[in-house]
Amino acid sequence: MSIRPDWLDPEPHVARVEAARRRDVHAALAAEQPGIAEFAALLSSTAAGELEAMAQRARQLTRGHFGNTIQLYAPLYLSNYCTGGCSYCGFSSDRKQPRHKLTEEQCQAEMSALRQMHIEEILLLTGERAPEADFEFLCNFVRAAAVHFPKVTVEAFGMTEEEYRTLNEAGCTGITLYQETYDPTLYEACHRWGEKRDFATRIAAPDRAFRAGLRTVGIGALLGLGDPIAESISLYQHAAHLMKTHWQGGISVSFPRLRPEAGGFQPPHPVDEKRLAQLIFAFRICLPDVPLVLSTRESAAFRDGMAGIGINKMSVASRTTVGGYENGRAEDNGQFEIDDGRDVETFCTMLREQQLEPVFKNWDAVFR
Amino acid sequence: MSDTLTLGDLAFSSRLLLGTGKFSDVETMIAAVKASGAEIVTVALRRFNANEAEDDLFGPLSQLDGVTLMPNTSGARNAQEAVRAAMLARELSGSKLVKVEIHPNPHHLMPDPIETYEAAKTLAADGFVVMPYMPADPVLAKRLEDVGCASVMPLGSAIGSGHGLSTRELVGLIIRDSGIPVIIDAGLRAPSEATAAMEMGCDAVLVNSAIANAGDPAAMGRAFADAVATGYAARQAGLMARLDHAEATSPLTAFLSDAE
Repeated sequence: MSIRPDWLDPEPHVARVEAARRRDVHAALAAEQPGIAEFAALLSSTAAGELEAMAQRARQLTRGHFGNTIQLYAPLYLSNYCTGGCSYCGFSSDRKQPRHKLTEEQCQAEMSALRQMHIEEILLLTGERAPEADFEFLCNFVRAAAVHFPKVTVEAFGMTEEEYRTLNEAGCTGITLYQETYDPTLYEACHRWGEKRDFATRIAAPDRAFRAGLRTVGIGALLGLGDPIAESISLYQHAAHLMKTHWQGGISVSFPRLRPEAGGFQPPHPVDEKRLAQLIFAFRICLPDVPLVLSTRESAAFRDGMAGIGINKMSVASRTTVGGYENGRAEDNGQFEIDDGRDVETFCTMLREQQLEPVFKNWDAVFR
Repeated sequence: MSDTLTLGDLAFSSRLLLGTGKFSDVETMIAAVKASGAEIVTVALRRFNANEAEDDLFGPLSQLDGVTLMPNTSGARNAQEAVRAAMLARELSGSKLVKVEIHPNPHHLMPDPIETYEAAKTLAADGFVVMPYMPADPVLAKRLEDVGCASVMPLGSAIGSGHGLSTRELVGLIIRDSGIPVIIDAGLRAPSEATAAMEMGCDAVLVNSAIANAGDPAAMGRAFADAVATGYAARQAGLMARLDHAEATSPLTAFLSDAE
């Protein structure tokens, strides 16, 4: 028996992608209730030839549900200590990387710098669970952040349901946790050691988080790692599973794309910008009311183009080093290369020029 | 219908209410509010930003003369959260009008009838002028009236969908039996749909996406104002009866003779 649940298996739908004709793509674009069949058609090379029509439809749906706004947030790296062995990650435990973690005082300085940038939603990050940066360490910083930010979310290691409950009580609204790859064999090859190596535990983490009362879970596949079509289908199926299982749960989908990074990892299935845009449009058309998120991994030009056309939420002015906002450590490598390094004001000016309102605060602490 | 829209002890002459959340910037939103002549605007508590940030909606709206703020509880997934949000919003805004908006599913944003009822009951007892966003359910409408709501606000179709008054038949039943104003909230796309809602007997309509996503939001705000006024005037004037049948040549009742 496979460790991958049947509902996650992309195989039955991959053939649909290959078989998609123009009329399937057009039907998908006009579908009232698009599902997996329409999604598959929109991933096809035939659909790649209809990219403009996909963009038009995606824009219309994005504006209808999310309005003329872009929701903004910023990541805050608490620690780059890591016990994980992710072959593609700059923070992996076998990388010769200076390790740091924030002290309480440093964290306050980072948060104060972010507040001055008008940030209202903050994503706290750590590596895999480590003695230097464990669950307690993370919880303390969630409590500290909840004092200053109406919305605090966490991207760290997979947790137990009980831990997610504690995280919720500490003031955390939701988590981001990527499966990285939905292919169990590839997953095991990439995650060479550590807690994260267990595919089945990882895939069930969003379910545990929702059961523990957290409101939002961000999911994603690390694009470049596996076959983008199979990964996208599984990601769609994961989203559909979560929406069916947790009717009060808010999911969002991110599109982290592997770029060449410090350790020299070269993505085996590189995804170019056109392909990435097509994936994002397909998700928007088939999941019109699900937030789609794009980070500063992507270039300024790509982000500018995708804002309001599929994407409705973006990180801004990110630093991916520990202590990066207060005093950037020039000697450190971040978890990944930032492509769009614009500051908040420059980024917001771009949004305003596109008649998009930058929204910093879209949540309130009263809902904790 | 009188010429005044009465909500609790508050009276308004405009029958168009505006949502404020989806505009490209605050200036465009304010221009649309002014052009629409709306006297009630709703704003989500989660969009109140006390840090004088550019995305704060409360500050600029509170400066407008002749506009009453109706904070909404969007983001709440149950009655308890909605009540907390309403209390905080009243404290911050000074307005006792509250739009109870509880959509536990953050994707389709459909209102929760059970939690909405519970929150409305609590808030009405606490002196709020309660305006519940609700599914177009005639039974729930009477339940909400019974616990002291100032209006009911059934949805026309899903928020932001622009599918118009797809709940027309159910809204008709709500209007027929309601002792409090019925306000269509959500789903309208074209001013003609607002006219139709007013013609059929709605007391007001609330519009956001249709104006925010228009090419010229201020002009669309004006168009909706005219459309609402037209529908209201037509209703007041008395629409002719709709005849769905022709006069039969062989009447079914011919066997009933006049003579005894």
